[in-house]
This record gives sequence, C-alpha cells and structure tokens, in this order.
Amino acid sequence: MKTIPRVLPLFLTCIAAVSMVGCKSQTSSGGGEKLTIGLLPKSKGNQYFVTCEKGARLAAADLGAELLFDGPTNTDPAKQNEIVENWISLGVDVIAAACENKDGISTALKKAQQAGIKVVTYDADAQPDARSFFVNQATEQGIGDQLMDTAAALTGGEGEFAIITATLTAANTNEWIKYIKERQAAKYPNMKLVEVKPCDDQKDKAQQETTNLLSAYPNLKAVIAVCSPGVPGAAEAVKQAGKAGQVKVLGLGLPSENKAYVKEGVTQAVVLWKVEDLGYLTVQVAAAVAQGKLQAGATEFDAGKLGKLEIQGDNVLLGKPFVFTKENIDQFDF
Amino acid sequence: MSQSTNQPKWTALLAKHETVLLAVILVEILLFQNLGRNFLAESNVSNIFRHSVEIGLLALVMTPVILTGGIDLSLGSMMGLCAVVFGLLVKQFDVSPWLAAVAAISLGAFGGMGNAFLITRMNLPPLIVTLGTFSLFRGLAEALTKGSEAYSGFPQGFLNLGNANVLGLPAQLWVFFFITLLVWVLVHRTVWGRSLQAIGFAPQGARYAGISVGRNTGMAYVLAGAIAGLAAVILVARLGEARANIGIGYELLAITAVVLGGTSIFGGSGSISGTLLGYVAIAILNNGLSRITAHQIFDQPVSSVARELSGMLTGLLLLLALAAGVLLKSLATRRARRQSLITTTNPTPST
Repeated sequence: MKTIPRVLPLFLTCIAAVSMVGCKSQTSSGGGEKLTIGLLPKSKGNQYFVTCEKGARLAAADLGAELLFDGPTNTDPAKQNEIVENWISLGVDVIAAACENKDGISTALKKAQQAGIKVVTYDADAQPDARSFFVNQATEQGIGDQLMDTAAALTGGEGEFAIITATLTAANTNEWIKYIKERQAAKYPNMKLVEVKPCDDQKDKAQQETTNLLSAYPNLKAVIAVCSPGVPGAAEAVKQAGKAGQVKVLGLGLPSENKAYVKEGVTQAVVLWKVEDLGYLTVQVAAAVAQGKLQAGATEFDAGKLGKLEIQGDNVLLGKPFVFTKENIDQFDF
Repeated sequence: MSQSTNQPKWTALLAKHETVLLAVILVEILLFQNLGRNFLAESNVSNIFRHSVEIGLLALVMTPVILTGGIDLSLGSMMGLCAVVFGLLVKQFDVSPWLAAVAAISLGAFGGMGNAFLITRMNLPPLIVTLGTFSLFRGLAEALTKGSEAYSGFPQGFLNLGNANVLGLPAQLWVFFFITLLVWVLVHRTVWGRSLQAIGFAPQGARYAGISVGRNTGMAYVLAGAIAGLAAVILVARLGEARANIGIGYELLAITAVVLGGTSIFGGSGSISGTLLGYVAIAILNNGLSRITAHQIFDQPVSSVARELSGMLTGLLLLLALAAGVLLKSLATRRARRQSLITTTNPTPST
C-alpha cells in the first residue's frame, strides 16, 4: 500500500515525459515526395470493401501514391473517427471515407480539413461541408433506368412485371422504383407493373411474396428485386414453381450472392456497379483533389483507365451500373 | 519504518507489479517509436489518450468493484443508454448539454443503484446481475432510438469537451485526471476504500468486523454507473453523435486494464495506480499498432494487418504480465525467506 503515493506521480511524469519528447520529435509529415492516401471503408472485412481496396491499390500503383487502407473490424461507432484522427497525426495528404455514421464521422473529417488534409467520400456520403467531392457509385436514376432497360431487354419489351422491395417506406428503394416507373412509362408502353411487394430485407419473405405473385399473375414475365436479399429470394420461388427462364428474375445485388442462380439460368441479370472500379475511381479522385487538379466547379474528370467521367455538382459519377450475367459473372468475386 | 527492508529493496521493487508494467510501457514506446510513423508526435500522444479516456474511466471505477470480489459487465451498455438519453434530452427536449450531462451521470448512478440492489439486497451474483443489465441497458438504448436513430448537431462548446485542447492537453484528459484523483482518494484514503479490500478478502470476516458489507459494496456499483454516464457524455462530445451502440465491449477492455494492473479478480487486493498503468499499456498498444504503415510482411502492407493484432497482443500482454508478476513475486519471497533465515536474530517486520 505504501508504494501507491509514490507510483502515482511516477505515472503523471510518465505522461508528461511522453508529451514533452513528443513535442520535440514531431517530424515533418511526408511532405513533398510521395502522396499518402487514407482509404476508409465502412468495415474492413466486408468483401465489398475488400474488392474496393483491390481497385484502389491498382490506382495507387498507377499514380505512385502510398495507400493506407484501414477500417473498423467491429460495430463500435467510435472506430471510424479514431482511424481518421490517427491519420491526421500520421500526416496523410488526403482521406477518402465511406461513412457508416454520417454525422459522427463528419466531426472527424472536418478536423482533418482544418488540419489541411483534403477529404473526399465514396460509397456513402458525409455531411456536404465535411468533404470536397463524393464519388457516387450510381445515381438513383441510373439504377432505376438500368433495371427497367434490362427487364425490357429480357422480356422483349412487353408483359406484366412485379417489383420486390425492402420496405414500402425506405427512401432509397422508393426513389429507384419511381425511376423504374418513369422509364417504363416513357419507353416501354407494352409493359405493365402489376404490384410492388415488400420483403423486409429478408430472403424468406421475398421468396414467399414471389410465390404469391406467381399464382396471382399467371402471365407474369419478370420480377425485379430492388433490395439485395430479394434477388435470391425471388429466384428460389421461381425455381420451385418450375418457371425458371419463363419468368425472368433480375435485381440489385451482389454477384457472389446470386452466382448459383445465375448459372442455373433462374436469375438472368444482377445489376450493380463494378465495385473494383469504385475503389479505383475513389483513389483517382482523392489524388487529383490533393494535387489541386480537381477543383470545385469541374464538370468532367479524367479517371485513368475509366476514361472521362461526368461530375454533377460535387458528385463524381462512376457511370451506368453494370449488368452481371451468366457470361461475365465468373470474373467477379464480391 | 521503511528503512527496515533495506537489503532486498531492489528485488522488492522489481516484484512490484507496477514496475513490471512501467517496463512494458517503456518497451512499447521504444518499439512504436521505431516502427510506427509519427508515434511520438504531439498530436498522436494526444490521440492515445483522447481515444481511450472512456476506457480509462471505466477501468478506474471497475477497480473498486473488482476489489470487493465483484464485477460489472453492464458499464459499456450503460454508456449506450446514457448517451441516448443525453442525446434525447438535448435534441428533443432542448435541455442544455451541461444539464443533460448531469442527467446522464445521474442516470448512470441510478442504473448502478439497480445493480447494487440486486447484488447486495437480493444476494444475486454480480456476474449474473450485470450480465442481465448488460442486455437490459443496451436493449433500452436501442428501443429508445428504434435501433437506428442517432442524435447529432450538438453546440460547438460542448463538442470541445471531446475535441479541444486545454493547456496543451485534450480537454477530457483533465476530467480524467480529476476523476483519477477522486477515485484514488476514495479507494486508498477513506474508510470506505479500506473496507472494500476487507470485503473482497473475506466478506464474512468484514461483516464480523462491523463493516456494512452491503452498503459499501453497493456504493462501488453506484460510483461505477455514474462514471460510465460521464464516459458516455465524453464519448458523445468526441464523436458529435449519440447513438445506441456506443461503448460496445468497453467494459471488457476496462476489466483487462484492471487485471493487467495487478488487481486480483477474486477481490481483496489491488490499486488504482496499477489500473492506471494497465490502462496506459493497453491504450499505447492499440494506438501504436495503427501507426505501423511502412513495413511489409509477406508482400502485405502491414497497415492493413497491424491493428487486427491489437486484440491478440492485448491478450498476450495480459497473460505475460500476470505470469511475470507471479514469477518475480515468488523470486522475491524466496530471497526474502533466505534473508530472514540468515538474520534470524533480526526478523524482518512484515508490512
């Protein structure tokens, strides 16, 4: 017990000493030579972001930049902030973040901006004043148009179709459905949307709803699922009803989750952006912003191997979503 | 009378758990200074403490709980609940953040009171009680926010608590210093603190000695709850956002720091200074690993691997420090015994 009062001041001097040594040995942060980019995923183990990283490394190698890839490995909402703050003191030149909690991470991103570090976001945006550009993987209209065009191509542009959605209140899925309807009205007058059914983001429910749709509408030509569990769910229902190929299944989802159904010929098309390209573009944009080559007001961006891409406001657009089919799905592993 | 143990002084010092930990911390600093990038930069030294103060606070108040032979698994969940209630008060009811902070701390104390009641009045095991409230508090926080709602947009003055510097140190570190002093005095300089060790050592004996075991044990849980509320407020100020999943797993890191600091998990012995050093060792480890960026192992850039090692290394550190402590202690006692055999005419008085 007697040693305790002796150790306490010892501890305090320990902190003081570390701080003081710190002040002296603060090194200049990388500075001129090599561009350092911090790429922050929503979560590190997620295959989606692992694929992003692959594309990002490619771009970093092309640009001769150093890429740090780090993100949370658990659900602690403080982790993204801590990584950003560590990068600030590490002295990175630019940070590219996919934001898990929009408002929380913005606190840290603004701190980075105050420290003179450029910030861009990708995949999921932060508050607009916490970054200079958002690399937008797909606009709502782009997704809606692509889904409708693909459905029309599969059905020859006529017949009844139904939509499986997440919930009837989810803002993003409702936007996509709005654009699907607009596209149909404008370009495919011989097609008819018969029903929109929610699946609560559950595969089982999607399967059940699709089974109901199949019996209610015997002439149904296609099912479009706008939430990722909906695509395999709808496929399973069509498969069990013995209508594979007769009723086309397509939707928004990860190729890996749908590979089996696509190969069996139950699901005809999966619509998503090329995730690797998203990582590639993000690093290209981050580097250009850091070097002052990309500034507010630009309307076009030269993204290396991706060519010239459009900028809407402060959104750099990855372009039209990609359609994964039986022919190409094996080339992708996310 | 401290002169009496003149001879084996250095071994006694070596056997002190705190000395082992200081050495560990020193090794960590040297290691990360060489391997890590800008590890000792002032801003990073600030980060080390800024990012871990909440865990440090929990570790401080977990110490008296463990001293009694108890445990509190509910502190991380308590942070979630206090954070949500804090956010709710400020954003929905327009309460000033500072008043809401007082409310959050009170709520924490109240929750701790619930733990204390079940443990001391109903005589339920602390592990089971706090495992229950671990789910209960988090569940309440999630129910209040429907699992997804988050509160943000707090005034800058409040956010400064989590992000600004005061006299060159992170603002929340000053709060931490104050709480450290408070808990140290409570544990090591009051009758209550002494009674905790007696309770942890032998609860029956403590009762016979006239100590109010129930009340004194209960107070440890109330204190723990209140400080968990404070930790929640500080974390919200740092993130600028209050949400239900704040503080997940923090209680386990706090327990690790306490045990690493040499407090017996069975109660009866331990110290705040040990807990502090245990906490610093963990905080430096977690931060340092995230700064190793330049090195390559098997063509893999280490930065994407290093931080994942932190869990593993924290565990190893705990086990090694405990083993080293036991080993050195047995060495010291053997030496002391030999000494006392030689000088039988002058037996060493026990402390």
